Amino acid sequence: MAEVHVIGQILGATGFSESSLFCKWGVHTGAAWKLLSGVREGQTQVDTPQVGDMAYWSHPIDLHFATKGLQGWPRLHLQVWSQDSFGRCQLAGYGFCHVPSSPGTHQLDCPTWRPLGSWREQLARAFVGGGPQLLHGDAIYSGADRYRLHTAAGGTVHLELGLLLRHFDRYGVEC
Amino acid sequence: MAAAGPSVFLLMVNGQVESAQFPEYDDLYCKYCFVYGQDWAPTAGLEEGISQITSKSQDVRQALVWNFPIDVTFKSTNPYGWPQIVLSVYGPDVFGNDVVRGYGAVHVPFSPGRTSVCENICFRHKRTIPMFVPESTSKLQKFTSWFMGRRPEYTDPKVVAQGEGREVTRVRSQGFVTLLFNVVTKDMRKLGYDTGPPDTQGVLGPSPPPGLPR
Repeated sequence: MAEVHVIGQILGATGFSESSLFCKWGVHTGAAWKLLSGVREGQTQVDTPQVGDMAYWSHPIDLHFATKGLQGWPRLHLQVWSQDSFGRCQLAGYGFCHVPSSPGTHQLDCPTWRPLGSWREQLARAFVGGGPQLLHGDAIYSGADRYRLHTAAGGTVHLELGLLLRHFDRYGVEC
Repeated sequence: MAAAGPSVFLLMVNGQVESAQFPEYDDLYCKYCFVYGQDWAPTAGLEEGISQITSKSQDVRQALVWNFPIDVTFKSTNPYGWPQIVLSVYGPDVFGNDVVRGYGAVHVPFSPGRTSVCENICFRHKRTIPMFVPESTSKLQKFTSWFMGRRPEYTDPKVVAQGEGREVTRVRSQGFVTLLFNVVTKDMRKLGYDTGPPDTQGVLGPSPPPGLPR
């Protein structure tokens, strides 16, 4: 089986109006992929930046996959949340990005969005916070049910992922 | 596998902890150590170090220069657990006690390996890593730590290289450290690994100023 190593960091986020941010992340793969070692999902620390407006998480990712097929190449799904001074959390954005398919180090910028909801919900969010969230996280990384949603732009999550491939050339796969 | 191919690959890392930018603090020193997975072992060099105390330069850069060398070689059979360098920066507070001013971590860069003529290719990387300190989560602890002049610290700085258990920590990022790496690998290609084309980051002109939103 061919092997893929994904090694890198979720660096941080820019462009969010909220200041104390954290990120829940996960990796989704197709059925042909098997995670040999590493953790598939996690949550970063909450950062309140003092310099500039980028929240830094420096969250390490180290995944080792074995695969029998190319379908379902790993994708990373992200949820950015903000935390207020009382410890309450509010959704700031959803986003996903494919793990790059060529070996080497990649800088990724993942744009995010959040569900908008009805005008009542928007008004309530402006005054008391909260706001609509997805019931099922799979809408973040699949395009199947997206057409039901009305969304607004969030900030951008920055990642640096290194990709190391093994034995792809043995099967004639060019990445 | 009678034709005994290599079973381990080597990763040689050298470079320096070049400088730092901490707008609010001065007279800082830096500790580094490496964190790596179970399959990894250092074969040569020092895997931890502690730098001199440096003061800010008297010009507009306000740079804290350490120019502190790093030189270590690892061997491994599996890239999982690729080494990370963990930095922690300390400096005196108003009472003269050493307190932490930032933790940070970054993976050692992958070596490029594109030429078939030469097995070992050397390359230079420049990385600017954000530094953060943990914060107390309760108002009472915040007050007592302010009153006693003791900041929260990690008992083991190596936790910043781990992804698990981070959801409970609140941090404040307040500075940057610039690192230079030269990386050479041996036998990765022979073991079937493709690390991709040479990473051109950091060689083409100066890197963008740290701390600015991209």
